[in-house]
Amino acid sequence: MCGIIGYTGEKQAQPILLNGLAKLEYRGYDSCGIAISAENIELYKDAVRVEALRKASPELKGTLGIGHTRWATHGAPSRINAHPHLDCTGNIAVVHNGVISNYQELKSRLVDEGHKFVSETDTEVISHLIEKYYHGDIEEAVESAVADIEGSYALIVLVKDEPGLAVARKDSPLILGLGDRENFVASDVPAILDYTDRVVYLEDGDTGFITGNDVKVKRDGKEVEREEHKVSWSVEEARKAGYEHFLLKEIHEQPKVIRSILGEYTREKELVADTLGVKDTDIESMLIIACGTSHHAALVGKYIIEELLGIPVRAELASEFNYYSHTLAGGVSLAIIQSGETADTLKAMRKLKEAGNRVIAITNVVGSTASRIASHTIYTGAGPEISVAATKTFMAQLMVLYWLGLSYSRLDARRLSGLVKELRQMPGKVQQVLDDEDSIIEQAKYLSGFENVFYIGRGMSYPLALEGALKLKEISYIHAEGYAAGELKHGPFALLGTDTPVIAIVPEDDTYEAMLTSIKEIKARGSPVIALAEEGDETIEELADAVISVPRVDRLFSPIVNIVVLQLLAYYTARERGCSIDFPRNLAKSVTVE
Amino acid sequence: MKQAVILAAGEGQRLRPFTVTKSKTMLSIADKPILQYVIEALARNGIRKIVIVAGYRRKQIFDYMENGERFGVEIVYITQEKQLGTAHALTQAKGVVDDEFLVLPGDNLIDADTISRFVDMEPEAILVKKVHNPTRYGLVTTEGNEVRSIVEKPREAETDIVNTGIYSFSKSIFDYIEAELDIPEVINNMIEQGNNVNFQETGGTWFDVVYPWDILSLNNEILRTIPPSLGGTIEAGATVKGPVSIGKDTVVRANSYIAGPAVIGANCDVGPNVVIMPATSIGDNVVISPFTEIENSVISNDVNIGPGSIIQDSVIDESCFIGGHFTACSEVVEIRVDDGNYSVNVGAMLGVGCNLGNGVVAQPGVIVGNYTRVQAMKLIHGNLPDKSSVY
Repeated sequence: MCGIIGYTGEKQAQPILLNGLAKLEYRGYDSCGIAISAENIELYKDAVRVEALRKASPELKGTLGIGHTRWATHGAPSRINAHPHLDCTGNIAVVHNGVISNYQELKSRLVDEGHKFVSETDTEVISHLIEKYYHGDIEEAVESAVADIEGSYALIVLVKDEPGLAVARKDSPLILGLGDRENFVASDVPAILDYTDRVVYLEDGDTGFITGNDVKVKRDGKEVEREEHKVSWSVEEARKAGYEHFLLKEIHEQPKVIRSILGEYTREKELVADTLGVKDTDIESMLIIACGTSHHAALVGKYIIEELLGIPVRAELASEFNYYSHTLAGGVSLAIIQSGETADTLKAMRKLKEAGNRVIAITNVVGSTASRIASHTIYTGAGPEISVAATKTFMAQLMVLYWLGLSYSRLDARRLSGLVKELRQMPGKVQQVLDDEDSIIEQAKYLSGFENVFYIGRGMSYPLALEGALKLKEISYIHAEGYAAGELKHGPFALLGTDTPVIAIVPEDDTYEAMLTSIKEIKARGSPVIALAEEGDETIEELADAVISVPRVDRLFSPIVNIVVLQLLAYYTARERGCSIDFPRNLAKSVTVE
Repeated sequence: MKQAVILAAGEGQRLRPFTVTKSKTMLSIADKPILQYVIEALARNGIRKIVIVAGYRRKQIFDYMENGERFGVEIVYITQEKQLGTAHALTQAKGVVDDEFLVLPGDNLIDADTISRFVDMEPEAILVKKVHNPTRYGLVTTEGNEVRSIVEKPREAETDIVNTGIYSFSKSIFDYIEAELDIPEVINNMIEQGNNVNFQETGGTWFDVVYPWDILSLNNEILRTIPPSLGGTIEAGATVKGPVSIGKDTVVRANSYIAGPAVIGANCDVGPNVVIMPATSIGDNVVISPFTEIENSVISNDVNIGPGSIIQDSVIDESCFIGGHFTACSEVVEIRVDDGNYSVNVGAMLGVGCNLGNGVVAQPGVIVGNYTRVQAMKLIHGNLPDKSSVY
């Protein structure tokens, strides 16, 4: 998915295009660009987010222009592959959302005819096709070009010396916004709602030409009338699809994310046993590097892979790894890097590669820097994540780690087939947590009154305690500490008391008895205990002050259900405190400095 | 007409256990929620601005429909916190509607033809349909082109024309909504005060689901028209006959036999040696183990069915994990629900997330509540509440 926008009118186009692109970032944000027509066509684009482009781009003067924000499907995000794309002459610029399925064929034909391509994108064929057909009539040229194209497209075309923008759509969304002596084109309504609420929806197969004073829509070469609609809702409402915050929407997307990763990978499991590029019998140990939430996924990954493969695994913070003076050589390492751009993790990846390791990147962004450094990349495919606090991408990382572990598992066949079957049940288990929020909301209301909270767990639940605490601090600004339950008595006990509630993660695995002991010790210090426990666990009911029940799953999969509870707990606590949930203070989605 | 308001806030209590975790509009028929049929019917008639009034279990609607882009429409959501009737639901949308708009129930299954002429009908108007069992619905008495009154579920029917719950309204409708909770009362009020309300009859699809077993007959009806398509892999030796739609990344393994009409979703693992007989819908990410036979049934997403099972005329909701040798044979049985006894031909009806051990036998007509756990080799019967344990 990508987002496109066009402006024609009397105002300066650049700020309007950049503002519109920022509104379209939910459709993708790995690169973006604008083109403005003045005397010549001026272009500025890069593999950065819109805010960075806004800061970096020179002032481009002109009242006619187009813009694009990209989420790569093929062709890595780079300055060259970013839109708009020009033709050979530099007089035609195109932005496109969609996929041209016959672009290879078109490209080789155009190359034979002498056209010079600079990018790896499918879109560039459109610029050259229009160049081929353009003999002074832009509408005709676009109609001829789209007749050659198979696939989906929403297009905006800017041509030097033409007074407006040519547009076309098929199977990708495109709307026109009608203003006063100015008009707009965009992938969707939010991009233009700051300027107008009068909208025309284009139909599949429509082409058109718009200037500041006129809108013309054509179908099969004949002019047609398209009704004008008045939009009556706000930008934010439309993008959040019913939800108050992106964070809650993204938490709720998790069953879908799990199902899509299962679809992608369970099938492949039978075909691909060489993801890591090494024979499974050759793997003797593994190193996982990551930062932030991804590091917590790495720590869960340690437990998963150690159990399934029976090898030692180290999970290290990438930001610290760079100071270690000894690096293993010739091994297999995983780098978990959601944005694909985290500077510390990239540095650690380079260091590992130089030392002769095979580095596998796990990232959500196709073609990101991480995927260019890595020996092999596994994509988490969770879609763009708008909220700064990572939720669905963390879940996607966990799913990839389970899939890796199961693909290389040295377990006996019976246990393995049981685990694979149970993994397929996870969308439903997560949905069950989402459907049953009431007890979580109740505990969140309680938590919101405190200033310090501890999270504890053992084994696989220890990294979840870290992640649960991180979620709470980043969005509710409550001071929260995640601890391995056994470590509490080595110091932190001094902080416990009636005003420091403790969230205990207590699955019925081999940590259960030790967790009960920890809870008793904490109770003795007067701290209120909220336990995450499996349905039907009566022992814990008697011990803890409050219990949030989670669905029963195999002990190996308990992080999948528990993390959803912790995410919801943080969300509702922050909401109760009236925090800016999607964009917390002082934080950025992707950290590109060390 | 450019805009439509879909009323999707209701619960559908008589459809329990299937409506405990989701609203009636999200019941899956031939692998699609009912609400999706309504949205697609509107999109195909060029209505792209859609307001959904959601209430009960609304997050599942948000999650599935999102902003409507997948269906070529733009959805804005309005919340009705308490389910106080259709007129009250409509009032919630007062701030976002145009001067003229359509109103449709989100829980009645329609197709594009149903409303193709009605979308141009001047307000105020009702879309009506002739049915065989009119006393289940609101009866519409007419005079010439005009409606005289709507009588809800009368004991005796003096006509066979009923209200589909699909209306063409102008903003003036809001002037007539006072304490009335449902739209038919509002319309009767308008008529009494001397206003004209017209009607149009449709011959198109219009189905209501009232009881759990209605899901089966409706599924049957919709499957008649599905276009065959193949998105997955059919292994050598497997047979696919008649109209069958198979989703992306699904594998149908050797020696399986699938007789259409049938729908199988994406990423399923079917077989080897599985038999799927006509009028069966299977969701996404479903595993059907060897030597199982399924006939005239609806199986939802993420279900696992063990080997050697037989499943007839049954509805199995999401994420059920069923062991081997599950028996759910059908028979004509008397089922007692709140408002009476019904004689239906049905197998088993399982709510979401049930876990059945090996060798469980379901008596025809059993209704199993959500998240029920059943030990191996047990016989289940009657009406089991949610989260039951059978030991």
